[in-house]
Amino acid sequence: MNDTEFASHEWWEHYKETVNGDPEMQVRGHDKFSDNFYVQIDDERFLIQMQDGTVRDILPNPALNNRWSFGVEGDREAWEEFIQETPPAFNHEIIASHYRSAVRNEDGHLMMRGDNKKIFQNLRPFQRALDLMRVANNNGGS
Amino acid sequence: MAESGTIEPITGKYVHVDIGGVDHRIYFEENGPKDGIPLLCQHTAGNNCQEWRHLLTDEDITEDFRVIAHDLPYHGKSVPPTSQSWWEEDYKMTGEQFTETLVALADALELEDPIYMGSSMGGNITLELADWYPDRFQALIGLECGAYSPGFYIDWLDHPHVNTTEVNAYSCWGLMAPQSPEQTRRETMYLYEQGATGVFKGDLYYYSVDHDYRDKLDQVNADECPLYIVNGEYDYLTTPEDGEETAKGVGDGAIAIEMAQIGHFPMSEHPELFNAYLKEILSDITGDREGDLPSVLKPEDVGIELHPPAPAREKSAK
Repeated sequence: MNDTEFASHEWWEHYKETVNGDPEMQVRGHDKFSDNFYVQIDDERFLIQMQDGTVRDILPNPALNNRWSFGVEGDREAWEEFIQETPPAFNHEIIASHYRSAVRNEDGHLMMRGDNKKIFQNLRPFQRALDLMRVANNNGGS
Repeated sequence: MAESGTIEPITGKYVHVDIGGVDHRIYFEENGPKDGIPLLCQHTAGNNCQEWRHLLTDEDITEDFRVIAHDLPYHGKSVPPTSQSWWEEDYKMTGEQFTETLVALADALELEDPIYMGSSMGGNITLELADWYPDRFQALIGLECGAYSPGFYIDWLDHPHVNTTEVNAYSCWGLMAPQSPEQTRRETMYLYEQGATGVFKGDLYYYSVDHDYRDKLDQVNADECPLYIVNGEYDYLTTPEDGEETAKGVGDGAIAIEMAQIGHFPMSEHPELFNAYLKEILSDITGDREGDLPSVLKPEDVGIELHPPAPAREKSAK
C-alpha cells in the first residue's frame, strides 16, 4: 500500500512519479497527450496538467487562470473503491463507472465531464492515467 | 507455454453461405469429432473468431463437442461479399440480418441440433433466435445477454478525428474483470484493434438500438429451446441482475446464471475460468449433470484458483 493519504500532496507526488515512469504511457504515440484533465473528489478538484504524455504538474483548486478539456467527478467513496487493488464491479474503470451513472442513472459511480471529442481523442492515455491512480495507491497492479 | 513445434488441432476453412440471396464467403475454425455435438460460437461486436481460441483447444470440451467458431461477414477473415458495392453505405447490423446469417451458416455446415453460444451481441441474439427459430437449435447459451442494452451506439467509435482502432478496443477495457489475467485481457483488446472501420459501431446498432425485447419477452420460446442466460459479475452493460430479469420475463426454459469474478468477454479475458464454468452448463444441456445449476458460479466451485494480482512495483526514490 501507498502509505500516504489518498489525494494528499504526497499522494499526488507519488502518482505523478508513477505516471511519468509508466512504460505504457510512453508508447503508441501517447507523447501527444497534452490535454489537461481534472479529478474531483467530493467538492475538491485537482487539475492534472499533461504535457506530451507526462504529468507536468498537479494543481489543487484550479481557477479562471487555468484550463482543462475534461474531468472526472465522483464522491470520495466511489474514488476509494476505484483505487482499490481489486476494485468492485462498476467502479473498476472509468467507462464502466460513467456508463452506470450516465446511462443507468445509478448513484455512487464516477462520471466524465467536458469535451467528449477530446476524451475519445485521448481515450487510452487518459484511461491509463486514471488506472495508474490504482497502481500508485497500491504500489503495484496494472 | 507450448513447446516449439507444437501444432494446435484447430483447422480453419471457408464455407460459402447464401444469406438473403447473396453469396458470402465465411471463415470458420473448428476442433472436435465430426460426429460430436455441434457447438456454434459467435464472437462479440466488432471482433472475430479468435476470441474462442482457448475453447477450441480445450481437450475436455472437444472430446465430445465439435466446436465451431466463425467470423461474421465483414469481420476477421470473412471479407465483404464480392457482388456488393458495400463501400457505398455504412455497415449496420440488425436482428433480422444477424439471425438469418446464423441460421444460414448452420444450414450450410449441415449442423444437426447444434448448440448456439455467443457473447454480448452474440448473447443478446439468443432472444431473437429463440423467438424466430426455436426449432433450429438444441439449446442457446446467451453470454452477457439482456433484453435491452442501450447507450453503446456511439459516434466516436467511427469518427475521422479519432483513433478508432484504439478507441474501439479500449472503450471495452472496463468490460473485463480486474481479476482476469492481464495477458488475456490485453489479447482481447489486441483482437479488438483488428476490426475494420465502422464495423464495431455498425454491430452496436443491433446491440444498443435494434435489439429491444423489454416488451417482447413473452414471445421467446425457451420452453421449446432451452435458453441459458449467463452474465459476468463485472459486465456493466448487461449485469447478472439484467440477466436474471430477462430470464424471469421469458419464463419456462430460461435459466439465469451469474459468473463470479469475470466480465463481458469471458471466453477470451479468462479462458481457464470460463471453460470451467461452461462445462457446468454443457453438462446440464447434455443431461449429464446431477442436480440444478447454481444461480451463481464461483471460481472455487469449479476448482479454479485466481491468478495473483500483477506484481508490486518498487516505489521510486524521492
